[in-house]
Amino acid sequence: MRPCGVFDKSYTQDMAIIRTWQHWVILISALILLYLFPLFGSYYLISFMNLLAITVIVVLGLQIVSGFCGQISFGQAAFMAVGAYTSSVLTVKFGFPFWIALPISGLMAGAIGIIGGAPSLRIKGFYLAMATIAIHFVVIWLILHLDITGSFKGLYPPSPSLGGFQFDTDERMYYIIMTVMIIMTYSARNLVRTKVGRAFVAIRDNDLAGQLMGVSLYYYKLLAFFISCFYAGIAGSLWAHLITVVNSEQFTLLHALEYVGMLIVGGMGSIPGVFFGVLFIRILNEMVMLTSPVLAKAFPWLGTSPAAALGLTAFGLAVAAFLIFEPRGLAHRWEIFKASYRLYPFAY
Amino acid sequence: MKKTSVIFLSLVLTVCFGFLGLTSPSSAKEVAYLSLADYTGPIAGLNVPADMGLEDYIKEINAQGGVDGITIKFIGIDTRYDVARAVSAYKRYSRTPRLLMVNSISTGIGKALSRLIERDKRAQLVPGDGEFQAHLGRSFIWGPAYQDAFAAMMDWVMDDWKAKGKSGAPVVGYVNWDNPYGREPLRGGKEYAESLGIKILPPEFFPPGSLKHDVYLNRLAEGGAHYIWAGGVDPTPTNVIRDAYALGLTRKIQFLNGYWGPTALGIGVHAEALEGTAIVSFFQRGEDAMNNPVVTDLWKKHRGSMDQFNEVYGMGMSWGMTYVAGLKSALEKTSFKKLEADDMYKAYQSITGLKRAGIQGPCAYSPTSRRGSVEVKIYRVKGGKIVPETNWRKAPDAVSLHKF
Repeated sequence: MRPCGVFDKSYTQDMAIIRTWQHWVILISALILLYLFPLFGSYYLISFMNLLAITVIVVLGLQIVSGFCGQISFGQAAFMAVGAYTSSVLTVKFGFPFWIALPISGLMAGAIGIIGGAPSLRIKGFYLAMATIAIHFVVIWLILHLDITGSFKGLYPPSPSLGGFQFDTDERMYYIIMTVMIIMTYSARNLVRTKVGRAFVAIRDNDLAGQLMGVSLYYYKLLAFFISCFYAGIAGSLWAHLITVVNSEQFTLLHALEYVGMLIVGGMGSIPGVFFGVLFIRILNEMVMLTSPVLAKAFPWLGTSPAAALGLTAFGLAVAAFLIFEPRGLAHRWEIFKASYRLYPFAY
Repeated sequence: MKKTSVIFLSLVLTVCFGFLGLTSPSSAKEVAYLSLADYTGPIAGLNVPADMGLEDYIKEINAQGGVDGITIKFIGIDTRYDVARAVSAYKRYSRTPRLLMVNSISTGIGKALSRLIERDKRAQLVPGDGEFQAHLGRSFIWGPAYQDAFAAMMDWVMDDWKAKGKSGAPVVGYVNWDNPYGREPLRGGKEYAESLGIKILPPEFFPPGSLKHDVYLNRLAEGGAHYIWAGGVDPTPTNVIRDAYALGLTRKIQFLNGYWGPTALGIGVHAEALEGTAIVSFFQRGEDAMNNPVVTDLWKKHRGSMDQFNEVYGMGMSWGMTYVAGLKSALEKTSFKKLEADDMYKAYQSITGLKRAGIQGPCAYSPTSRRGSVEVKIYRVKGGKIVPETNWRKAPDAVSLHKF
């Protein structure tokens, strides 16, 4: 975001993500605020931020495979489950520390993701969506039937610890989750600016044209799935050690649909869009949760249950309205705002 | 373009400020009850009428001046059967002044919350997973454990087998959801059945939401099942038995259900198929519930006509009665000013034997028991109605037979 009259004078300046000293001030202030948040934020808001950050990591992965590479995936919840279970098995059954289990969870989910992404080499669109749904059910079935995953009983992973210090509260886990989210966001933001990112976009926009230019569809599609699932695996590991219990019911197809919904609301093919989408849907979810008792109190004839259902209806209506009026998502609005800011005080 | 910008900015700001601005005011002498229920998801059919019963009961208590002048605030949250939503909701409401009890309506949610409940020195109500009895903590189950109810049904199966003039023991098939809930009755229940000489066929599991169950039923029939336990939360058991009826299996095999089996309301849809089905329940069902004036009077007062009456409503009332008794017990030991969630946890362990208008057996909560009651009744579907087949009978302790 640059104000009017600021121009790039070198290639380095043109490539920089943070372009002015004001940006640096805003960024550093935001980071300080983020890390100081547990000192003044309420317990609920801190736990809400944890949930937001974990969801951001999952949806960032989905953005890479769907938003940038154009491969529809409804398997993100299942890959998150792979990460959660890998981390739990490693820490519970093999005594690995969380810090080792975390990256291995990402790698394991990525490896499974390559298998899950293999159909993308032959099929597209709706058919690929169906194939990823199938992967979801296969993963959940395996989790339920393997002894190592605790079968239907699930597993109870421990909280992370470092030198005797236990990260056993939401406030303590906050620092780990936020740090991982920042690293993952930074990586995703840069990945899409590299040769790999451009190859993804080429595949998304026209895979045949991309192939003619020398982009290996085989390699890049599988790479997109690997990276996407790596993100989901990392998020799954964080979730498992935050909540300290995992079972198959925590990773449903409904979650996968919700992640795709976040992507659509936020805007496909945009890293800030991920934040907008996650924030919007999660806050809306919380609003639904908070308003139903208020509605029940304000309109006693409704009763609690119908009030809750009204909240769900409102949620559906809001998302539908969004899709009708702004199918390019909130990221598009952000782009318009940035363009206006850059031209201000001129209209055009 | 500007118009749409304004619309979207308004929408986003409404969401953000609304989120930050909402608070829940509380009156001076008030205690809270948090229900983390599924009002719009897969088990809404069970949760909605149950919470209606609880909410109406609380309204009555409050209308009569509360418990020693203390009113009860009912907070009902729709989790949509989603663990993440439930955990988030609990964290949101955990600081509610004098939140004395949380009802976690799903075993998965109960397990996910148990660590937080322990940490907050609170207590929670959970469905029938035997693990909560095996490992005593702050989680109280609503009735007997799933495996206890299964074992009670096995007792009835033996009685029925003998009443038919047959010797030895029958073969029992088992078909249920492929999830933790679907497997729970066998953890201890299978050991109990085998101790009676009953042979349990290899269990059949199917994904929740399956539309047809012919394959599983045929396999059990070919395995020589005399009885089949059809699990799941209604309408699943109804659908399983509907398929069995279409296959002609209900004529030669006796079908059995757990306590989330068909309700009187649901039976009307497949009355013919369900005829003769046996249901084990820890709360009053069908005709029993409809003849309980305490339940029906409250329903009529708050809900009107009995046409849509669901007997799960009574179970919700029973939760309310238990809560009120727990609150009274806690207030005998401490003043309102000093009342904390931990007092309610202790109080729940002291209301052993509490009677709840006959809706369910006497309360069995104690320092060594997390069972809401240990009595069950066997019901049968006859002429499109659920009628009692037995009186209240003690459900065997099947939890202790399994190594958890």
